[in-house]
Amino acid sequence: MSSKRFRGLAGYVLAAPAAVLAVAAFYLPWVSFIVNDKLFSTLTGRHIAAGTVIQKGSGEIVFRGSVMNHFILVVAAVTFLSLIVAWQRRRLVLWDGLALAILGAMGFFGILSGFGVASRKAGIAGVDMEMTYGMALALLASLLIFVAGVWNTVAVTREDPSVKGTLGAWGFMAPTAFLVMVFFFIPAFILFILSLTDLSSSNFSEPWHFIGLENYRRMFSDRFFPKILGNTIRYVSLTLIFFNVGMALVLALLTSHIRRRAGFFFRMIWLLPRITPSVVYIVMWRRMVQQPPYGIINQVLGWLGVEHQPYWLNEQPWLFVILVNGFVGASFGMLIFSSAIESIPKDLFVAARVDGASTWQIVRDITLPLIKWPLLFVTSYQTLSLLVSFEYILLLTNGGPGLFTTEVWALTSYKRALFTYFGTNQWGYGAAWGLVLVVIAIVASVVYLRVFRFDELVQEPKIDVL
Amino acid sequence: MKVELVNLTKRWGDVVGADGINLTIEHGEFVAFLGPSGCGKTTTLLMVAGIYKPTAGEILFDGKVVNAVPPKDRNIGMVFQSYALYPHMTVFQNISYPLKLKKVPKEEMQKRVQRVADMMGIGHLLDRKPAQLSGGQQQRVALGRALVKEPQLLLFDEPLSNLDARLRLSMRSEIKRLQIDLGITSIYVTHDQVEAMTMADRVAVMKDGKLQAFSPPDELYERPKTLFVAGFVGNPPMNFFDVEVVIENGEYHARGVGIDLVVPAERGEKAVGRGKVIMGVRPEHVSLADEGASGVINIVEPLGRDDLIDVRIGETDVQLLVEPGLGLRIGDHVKLHFDTENVQFFDPDTEKSLLW
Repeated sequence: MSSKRFRGLAGYVLAAPAAVLAVAAFYLPWVSFIVNDKLFSTLTGRHIAAGTVIQKGSGEIVFRGSVMNHFILVVAAVTFLSLIVAWQRRRLVLWDGLALAILGAMGFFGILSGFGVASRKAGIAGVDMEMTYGMALALLASLLIFVAGVWNTVAVTREDPSVKGTLGAWGFMAPTAFLVMVFFFIPAFILFILSLTDLSSSNFSEPWHFIGLENYRRMFSDRFFPKILGNTIRYVSLTLIFFNVGMALVLALLTSHIRRRAGFFFRMIWLLPRITPSVVYIVMWRRMVQQPPYGIINQVLGWLGVEHQPYWLNEQPWLFVILVNGFVGASFGMLIFSSAIESIPKDLFVAARVDGASTWQIVRDITLPLIKWPLLFVTSYQTLSLLVSFEYILLLTNGGPGLFTTEVWALTSYKRALFTYFGTNQWGYGAAWGLVLVVIAIVASVVYLRVFRFDELVQEPKIDVL
Repeated sequence: MKVELVNLTKRWGDVVGADGINLTIEHGEFVAFLGPSGCGKTTTLLMVAGIYKPTAGEILFDGKVVNAVPPKDRNIGMVFQSYALYPHMTVFQNISYPLKLKKVPKEEMQKRVQRVADMMGIGHLLDRKPAQLSGGQQQRVALGRALVKEPQLLLFDEPLSNLDARLRLSMRSEIKRLQIDLGITSIYVTHDQVEAMTMADRVAVMKDGKLQAFSPPDELYERPKTLFVAGFVGNPPMNFFDVEVVIENGEYHARGVGIDLVVPAERGEKAVGRGKVIMGVRPEHVSLADEGASGVINIVEPLGRDDLIDVRIGETDVQLLVEPGLGLRIGDHVKLHFDTENVQFFDPDTEKSLLW
């Protein structure tokens, strides 16, 4: 074991408990801020390790320690996992220094801001508040962690100059990492917490409760759960097969086999739905499918002598849900595929032609195998984006006609949480629906990363490696 | 297969790719299309392959017009500068692809691929992907793919340009030997005159879409029909002077700024009395001497076996090869002797040779 690694490990072991403490202290006020003063009331007990204590004056508020324990458990687990990962990758030292520095800083400012919020609240409630020994200790600990982290990082950088490059790379990644943190991990975490509560607009001003997995039980036993699940699968798979991949591929092949300018023109036309504002686009569709004498579809049918001229959204809701989404969705794959096709060296097509291949054989034997990676990428990316998309369905059919005919998962989540569809905004219950999508997305992403080897996809284009 | 190009023309709007090409390639002949980039040699080749449709003119294979015949029915094999191997297929799949398209039975396919691969010396690489091969190996696979369907016409589009110099030499002789052994009519596009001269039975020199000359290499060198051919073929290139040819005391004199050469009568008489003409002398026919045209050394380039020096006479730079180790320096004054036995004359307006 190299001395570097050992020092890193030792630092981790020593700092881990303090880090847990600091992060817990940071998260509590943070989350409490998000879910307003409901959760905040739990902060006012005296048992919080790194928390705050209010001198008993007027009304005493009960402390719910279990929440606190959850946080500590989660943070401890994350810290421990990162330790294992770091250990396996033999990157312990740098990882450590940075991690500790960040944890320390977060803890320090977290506790301070928590104390600030708490004392303001306490002031409103007419009670005095003072810093406890525990809290001062936690502040000191997080400061120490921060200093240790910085010191470690600097020491490692001195010892191994190549680390500087790594640090630079991290520096470039930091803005993205920050965005991912703020717009994915933190919201996902809050969503998870929310999904364990019965928080809704009806008990917003009353006590609300952590109800464990009750929301999930309710979701899976919903009478319409199978229907919604089936709708989602139908919506995603049909739109994907016929439009987002299928039509996209056909368009890319056609537009790259005709004259270049004509190809550009048709691609541009297919991009129009995507750049049309959703509401305008849907209004257009809704006018098209009207009963006679308004809808253009029925007018055309009339000219053709077809007598059956219904309101098409009621007659064939699924057809139009898929058409409406597909016309927008096809352009993404079209762009990716056509640029992939155009990056195939022209000599290969000439060679294949001389070898005796027909156009169809060239597509099958040369073009398709060479755009395998873009194909997989579009398939996986569009699966995920269809899974969470619902705005066109919301605007077109709003899940109807009738009960749940075209209602998909994401739409349900939206309606439960943010739409007064059932009289109340059921934030907790809606969050449970939403979290399932998040989990599916994470699992699918990991699978795609592994199975389709995304890392190779984003490296050099395959076809140039000759 | 005998290939005839009759008035073959390709235009894209105002851009001319090939302009009225006329030539006949005999059965079993190895013909090189030589010219600088953009001269239309590849365009012509792709028309022969059937990839481009001619704007005008005809392509005849063994007397039959094939303008409308698609590439797959022309029975041709083609080799590219980029090798154009299918990167997702193994060597075996690459070579067997033409046979697969022809629906040749599996066993026969196996046999033919193995035979061609052995001939090309890549029989042990059949399971590899192109990316796992060296440039030379890749080009052998490409050759194998072109040969496996036993074509009647082989088309080469600068096949050696991507190889390193040493490999280029060995592949050059290998392709030449292969072509003689198999006796397949071949068209070889190149911008490298050494390749064209060493490999081809006849060389078609092209410029701006037009055929400049079509003759055997030695004739091309000794009797260039145009100024362009004279300047393009030969390395270092031919030296040109603006001169006037006059008769004095029964001798033909070519006179320009700083030079006055006596030229053979049979050559001189064709250029006499035409006013300004362009005279061409190859570097190997110029030497350092005690007497002769005097000039100043501009550049000295040691090439190892010789030194290439550039001497300024009047307004003209003359290149010649001299023995190394003469200690020549830039700025030295030297005198040059011109061996006028093989001197060339060109009309400055039409740029056509006055001799041939």
